[in-house]
Amino acid sequence: MNISKIGIVTLDEMFKGVKSKHVWFFSGALAFICFLAMRYSPSLPFLFSDPSRIPYTYISFMIILLLGPFFILITAFDSISGEVEKGTIRYIISKIDRESFVLAKFLFSFLIFTFFALVVAIMGQMYNYQSFSTFDLERMFLFWIFSSLYIGCFTSLFIFVSTLSKSSKMAFTMSALLLGITIYFSVQGRTEYLKYITPYHYGFAVSEIMKNTYEISEYSTVVQNLLSMLLFIVATLSIDVFTFKRREL
Amino acid sequence: MTTAISTKNLYKKYEARYVLKDLSLNVEKGSIYGFLGQNGAGKTTTIKILSGLSIPDEGQIIIENMDMHMEADKIKSIIGLVPQDSDFYNERTALSQMNYFARLKGLSKSEAKEQSEILLERVGLENEMTKKVGSFSHGMKKRLSIAQALLDNPKILILDEPTNGLDPVGVRQVKQIIRECNDNGITILVSSHNLLELQEICTHVGILKSGRLITEGAIGDIRQLESNGVITVGIYNMSPEIVSLVENMEYVVDTRLKEKNILEIYVNSKTDVKPEINKLIVDNGGQVFKLIENSLSLEDAYLSATET
Repeated sequence: MNISKIGIVTLDEMFKGVKSKHVWFFSGALAFICFLAMRYSPSLPFLFSDPSRIPYTYISFMIILLLGPFFILITAFDSISGEVEKGTIRYIISKIDRESFVLAKFLFSFLIFTFFALVVAIMGQMYNYQSFSTFDLERMFLFWIFSSLYIGCFTSLFIFVSTLSKSSKMAFTMSALLLGITIYFSVQGRTEYLKYITPYHYGFAVSEIMKNTYEISEYSTVVQNLLSMLLFIVATLSIDVFTFKRREL
Repeated sequence: MTTAISTKNLYKKYEARYVLKDLSLNVEKGSIYGFLGQNGAGKTTTIKILSGLSIPDEGQIIIENMDMHMEADKIKSIIGLVPQDSDFYNERTALSQMNYFARLKGLSKSEAKEQSEILLERVGLENEMTKKVGSFSHGMKKRLSIAQALLDNPKILILDEPTNGLDPVGVRQVKQIIRECNDNGITILVSSHNLLELQEICTHVGILKSGRLITEGAIGDIRQLESNGVITVGIYNMSPEIVSLVENMEYVVDTRLKEKNILEIYVNSKTDVKPEINKLIVDNGGQVFKLIENSLSLEDAYLSATET
């Protein structure tokens, strides 16, 4: 693994990403949905137990929990399979090691959506300030960290599918199937342990903390889920690297 | 002569089929090694393994005294690869693409820019540097592919079918670049179907058949391997008996009936055997109207080796 080469590939991906209408459209669309939800949530006071205290951070966090994986699917499914399909991968892998390439691909998607999560977090605080004349920086920070990690979990999952797929079409189909499986695992109750292998479980576990009414006193829950998400990302990325190292190019 | 690339007992299988079987090849330092074989013989698989794009199931690869298994990254840094069936980022310019690859090779920003410009000029793309690669012809992309392989002065250049799909001008340009690289001390391994091209530029040849290296050596030795030459005999009253008698001669390796009256005789002898062949045919009622001896071309040696 070569840190400087990871940096070069990540920066190059970002350079391409900044120019890509695809990336702007999908991250913009997700931000816009969050904006709409926060903007119009006061019109739906029956949704909240205390209509005078609309939990803006919670609203945007729920949107990221529910819609984020779909947007990640659209932007990350061909991160590696696309390069394999085009044939550009041979030029790159003849110059750098495979671990660095996979990590750079992950970092690109992760950083893009981390930036996007920060924008949404700031947006939530602006609404918070407008409504209650106060900032809740602690909650904003938690929102930012957990949204980023949650999205990171899905990014590493879809990169895994991308490392295995021969074509982008197949990568998309398999990623969509995997997303369906994770949803199924997280909602069905008979075999409880299955939910622990889905990022949904960790995301929903901390969602209550995002409410204004919830006191951030249960730091053990925060730390536990934070570490679980980190572990999930590290484990999935290790599998991604292992799979890609065995792959024929 | 020292060895630049050496493989020992390389095996590779896809699903249940072995595409490389016990492949042991040796590429001498400073040589242009032509890698020949029919479609599906395993040439591209070998090249992918040598450049780290594929992993062998068994065997050892030593490149510039480094073991691929232990020092893959160091090996990558001294190899330039021109892969087959690969493409560039079409929306980017040639220069930006070269800069990116140069940075991946470990060059600083200024070195990357400088080398990219020099190499694009060297492959004749100096006027296309700022054009998007998507607008390039196949030949231009091939030259760009060679330019990226030459970044950071590799010791070894590996080219997989570099002249495939090129027009005669493109082929000549690529051959010229290969020769120049070799003159600058780069060891070259090139696979191609075009035997005439290889015959013209290669110093050494390896012939691969069904995943096995059936012959390897200096190009002159390969031509002599199966036979010292080919004698073309024109006989008016050709008969199966005459062909059979010729085939049974001690120094005759093979015979081929080219036309009704023309017989090609592949011989392995250091002396002139034409009079003896002529006598045998005449003594058995044949009327010889033509008797010519040619040295074998690489194509003859290749066909002779792969058809057996």
